[in-house]
Amino acid sequence: MLNLFRHEMRSRLGTILGWGIGLGMFGALYIGVWPEAGEAMQEIGDLAIYQAMGIDMTSFAGYMASVVVQYVPLILGIYAILASTGTLAGEEDSGTLELIVAAPLGRWQIVTVKAIALSLVVFLMIVVAAILDVLVLNAIRGLTEVDVTSSELFMAMIGTWPLVVAFTMMGLFLGAYLPSRRAAALTLSVIFIASYFGLILVGFAESLEPLKPMFLFNYLNSTASVFIEGQKPEDVAILLGLAMLFFGLALLSFQRRNVTVRAWPWQRARVGAKST
Amino acid sequence: MSDAIVETQGLTVYYGKHRGIVDVDLSVEQGEVFGFLGPNGAGKTTTQRVLMDVIRPTAGTATVFGKDSQKDGVSIRKRIGYLPGELSLYPNMTGRNFLRMIGSLQEKEIEPEYRQELYQRLDLDANRKMKEYSQGNKQKIGIVAAFMGKPDLLVLDEPTSGLDPLVQQVVMDLVREAKNDGRTVFFSSHILPEVEAVCDRVGIIREGMLVKTERVETLTKRQFKRVHFEFQNLPPADVFAFDGVTETGRDGQTVMLEVRGGFQRVLETAMPYGIEDIDTPPVTLEEIFLEFYDRQNQGGNRA
Repeated sequence: MLNLFRHEMRSRLGTILGWGIGLGMFGALYIGVWPEAGEAMQEIGDLAIYQAMGIDMTSFAGYMASVVVQYVPLILGIYAILASTGTLAGEEDSGTLELIVAAPLGRWQIVTVKAIALSLVVFLMIVVAAILDVLVLNAIRGLTEVDVTSSELFMAMIGTWPLVVAFTMMGLFLGAYLPSRRAAALTLSVIFIASYFGLILVGFAESLEPLKPMFLFNYLNSTASVFIEGQKPEDVAILLGLAMLFFGLALLSFQRRNVTVRAWPWQRARVGAKST
Repeated sequence: MSDAIVETQGLTVYYGKHRGIVDVDLSVEQGEVFGFLGPNGAGKTTTQRVLMDVIRPTAGTATVFGKDSQKDGVSIRKRIGYLPGELSLYPNMTGRNFLRMIGSLQEKEIEPEYRQELYQRLDLDANRKMKEYSQGNKQKIGIVAAFMGKPDLLVLDEPTSGLDPLVQQVVMDLVREAKNDGRTVFFSSHILPEVEAVCDRVGIIREGMLVKTERVETLTKRQFKRVHFEFQNLPPADVFAFDGVTETGRDGQTVMLEVRGGFQRVLETAMPYGIEDIDTPPVTLEEIFLEFYDRQNQGGNRA
């Protein structure tokens, strides 16, 4: 089990650095322009569209929360879709899963190792990005007044992890349940896009307010308060609870799955139910 | 108690409405090389995947080392070397790293000297990335992965597929060596000469059903004999047209026959025409196999 975990992590080292640095550069760019563009940003911060999208440009903390904290899970969500659906479903599509399943490992061990590895990978990506952004934050500190400390920024970025993990586990489950990576990735993409833009639509139309709890981005605090209060514990609990639920469903689906047989669940062989 | 290393009873797999295998009963004994013969789509791979718990049976049971292939899969697979039929490898990994990974997953002590010996015998450069390998070299990697741990049971799905004849011979030698060590080999193939060369017993599977399990020598003995008579005087065309004899051709003074059953009447019929020479070319397993399929297609019974 430990050997599979080592293999999973080793094969993703480059990805962690690549995505982590890329994500960090994205945040660094926004932080870096603040000394020059901060005033202009504050002027356009009152626009209705920004308010509907929950973007606050009136202070550095609001700007950082709106841009960095909100976009970290948005960008990492793309990785979550690619990596989580590529993990069981993608490996089955490419044929490499058969050798793993044929190794002396239980199905639950395979899913557990892959789930832990994926969760750790996205966590490390955020850590790499956060370190880079903290460095840039400290670099601009002498140029302009910033109301966010290094540790506040670091912790706020780390706080986006539960949301990314929830999507990652959802992708792992879809990959274990659906017949192909394509079907899993398509489904997760639709859910992901709906989760983000659905919440924005709620900002425009109050009648949609009851739908708010359905959108996972609802459980991410991307306002200036995140630097002081962090993510709400109940939101973190909901996201981690969902992650655990989808992990459990992935375990269950993969336990029953015929590997190498790309079929919809209702087309798969049922143990003990002999067809005619 | 049976010595069977692999045993299936009523093993059935359906993929939705599609047939995989139906009521397969077979057993592979300790230390034997069992050849699983059948054309593409007959159910060879499905059977082997059930043994490896890659897919689950719709009905029936499969035991390996006397244990349930599904329930006790982990302990069973520690003792198996498996070569899948559709071998897919990680493109950016070197052969050596891949084998190291497989070795570590098998949680088994791999003798580096033996692994090195396999590289040399198979003429394999394990330091290249998988994406740079030809299909044949990928197959060699799979063969090393299956053999390197010297497992008690080898489950090989068409092991010589994509290999050149020299390397095919090496693989057959490895199978023989495994047998000589007292290990068991269960391999599927549709290349009959290789099955004939190394197997103790064969199982013939057709459209998901096991139609025959037999020792190779019994199978070859039981079937028809081929006889070529060279005559002084060529007999008339229909002289051998009786039950159990088929005239398959003529070449000059030579008449070629396939005989099922006794030779008495054949010899009595041939004698008056002056027999110059008799030749009995061996019947290959391939011909027996094809005859089996012909017979089944004509509505023969399951054996």
